[in-house]
Amino acid sequence: MSAVQVKNLSVQFGDFFAVKDLSFSVEKGEVFGFLGANGAGKTTTIRVLCGLLLPSAGQASVCGLDVLSDAFEVKKKVGYMSQKFTLYDDLTVKENLDFTSALRKMEPEKFREQKEKLLKMIRFKSSEDILVRDLPGGIKQQVSLVAAVLHDPEIVFLDEPTAGVSPAFRQRFWKLIGGLAAEGKTVFVTTHYMDEAEQCGRIALMKSGELIALDSPQELKRNSFPDREPQEVSLEDVFIEQVEGG
Amino acid sequence: MKTLWGFIRKEFRQTLRDPRMRILLFLAPCVQLTIFGVALSTEAKNIRLSVVGGLSDTTLQEIHRKALASGWFIPARTSSQDPFMQIQNDEADAVMVTPVGGLDRSLGRGTGELQLLINATNVTRAQGIERYFSSIVRSLYEFKPPLSFDVRVLYNPAMRTALFLVPGVMSMLVCLITILLTSMSITREKELGTFETLIAAPVRPEEVILGKTVPFVLLGMSNIPLIVGVAMALFGMPLRGSLWLLLLSAFVFVCCTVGIGLFISTIARTQQQSMMGGFLYLFPSVLLSGMVFPVENMPWVLRVFSYINPLTYFIELLRNIMLKGGDARLIVFNILILSAMALLAITVSWRRFKTTLS
Repeated sequence: MSAVQVKNLSVQFGDFFAVKDLSFSVEKGEVFGFLGANGAGKTTTIRVLCGLLLPSAGQASVCGLDVLSDAFEVKKKVGYMSQKFTLYDDLTVKENLDFTSALRKMEPEKFREQKEKLLKMIRFKSSEDILVRDLPGGIKQQVSLVAAVLHDPEIVFLDEPTAGVSPAFRQRFWKLIGGLAAEGKTVFVTTHYMDEAEQCGRIALMKSGELIALDSPQELKRNSFPDREPQEVSLEDVFIEQVEGG
Repeated sequence: MKTLWGFIRKEFRQTLRDPRMRILLFLAPCVQLTIFGVALSTEAKNIRLSVVGGLSDTTLQEIHRKALASGWFIPARTSSQDPFMQIQNDEADAVMVTPVGGLDRSLGRGTGELQLLINATNVTRAQGIERYFSSIVRSLYEFKPPLSFDVRVLYNPAMRTALFLVPGVMSMLVCLITILLTSMSITREKELGTFETLIAAPVRPEEVILGKTVPFVLLGMSNIPLIVGVAMALFGMPLRGSLWLLLLSAFVFVCCTVGIGLFISTIARTQQQSMMGGFLYLFPSVLLSGMVFPVENMPWVLRVFSYINPLTYFIELLRNIMLKGGDARLIVFNILILSAMALLAITVSWRRFKTTLS
């Protein structure tokens, strides 16, 4: 069973198609990259898959559950880290995680275990009583990730998790993503950084709400520039060729 | 239950940590109650009285002396001898004009007429001035009419307007604080994007609604002792009825206003919009509540709005419980109506509340 299955999905706002006739599937344990210019429909797709937005047409299922009829169950199985802040700036790290666990109705034992494990994973060294607004940007993103996977979801959706974060922190963040995948979690991530996309198992390229390419980074390079050696081609070239060119 | 408890702790921490909210919650009520209570007086004081034509008559002297002795009037300093100009130039509020030939002489002929000019740009003040003069004249001539009233003014014997207005101001403050607190808390989450994270969790609409209602009802209720305390300490408001009845009334009213705040936040997208919505609601609701203007005097179209206005019922409850000690029938009726309104406001918001984005 695929972790995510999308078939002819469309999301329409008035006359405007944010997502048009989108079909793809994501396998369990995969790190799936979602690329495209701003407004290409990435966030909209993620919102549908998290049960936050109802599709206008087509089907989408997550962990075998239909997002239209089973949105509530879908929400239990997925973790979501949105483009904007997932955390409350005016609460401390501890208070934020407490609230997430209350929202998810987690057992105290499980919560303690998960929190300990995840904070260790991100090597969180500051006090838990520090206000989120006083954390450096990179740490804030990592704590957001902790909040998003606190309930041990099968799939995590990360919507531009590394936007506005320094390169060193981006690298650390992708190590964490690799760690999650190694645990068998499916990671669905959008990004604007090509070096990050390179680390995905497969990449979907979106343009104006439509899927224009879907393959592994290697294959994408080969298909976009058949006459060149894949090693010589950067994903940047592919992106420019596919999304901004032709 | 776990979710609700999580919400309560979160909202309390966020509200009490925010200096703006702390001011709104604790400082603003004290300041506003004081300002409104002191300034909102329909009693006319420091009325500048002048006499044109001289104080040659004994009767006129007597009236003038009594007026000044009453404490309501002060002598006006005038530059003009024209009584109309004195008021026009804002030198006097009331001018007595001596009749031609003197007041004593015309009184000697049977009836005397003393002209009194009153500035009525402020109607309540003008009415007050007229009343004071009538009472001065009554005290001058000891009529013995065959019938007299044995008047006993109950519940507010000194007829202090503060006792009448302060409950109104108290209700208005509770209304304002709870509506703003509730609606801004939700729209702030919408603005920051945390709302999306909130509904990405498997929560039912009723859980979010309860989670956003209960903390603010509690915060609003924490305000009641403060407001009642200030009213009693500063204005000598009595509390003749039961404190528990007062708290119960406040509770249903706060549920109602928090429900209205919720409703505003289902429409507003930003904190600014919700603040505008709050004030847009507040002004007509204060004007049509009987806080200053009696509901009975309004045309029926407006009276309808007074009767669907929760503030009307709460002001009535506060006045009744604090000043009169509480009538069982009025209290039961008003509390029932407020409960029904609270239920309606929260249900409508719950129906409108969605755990999906649009």
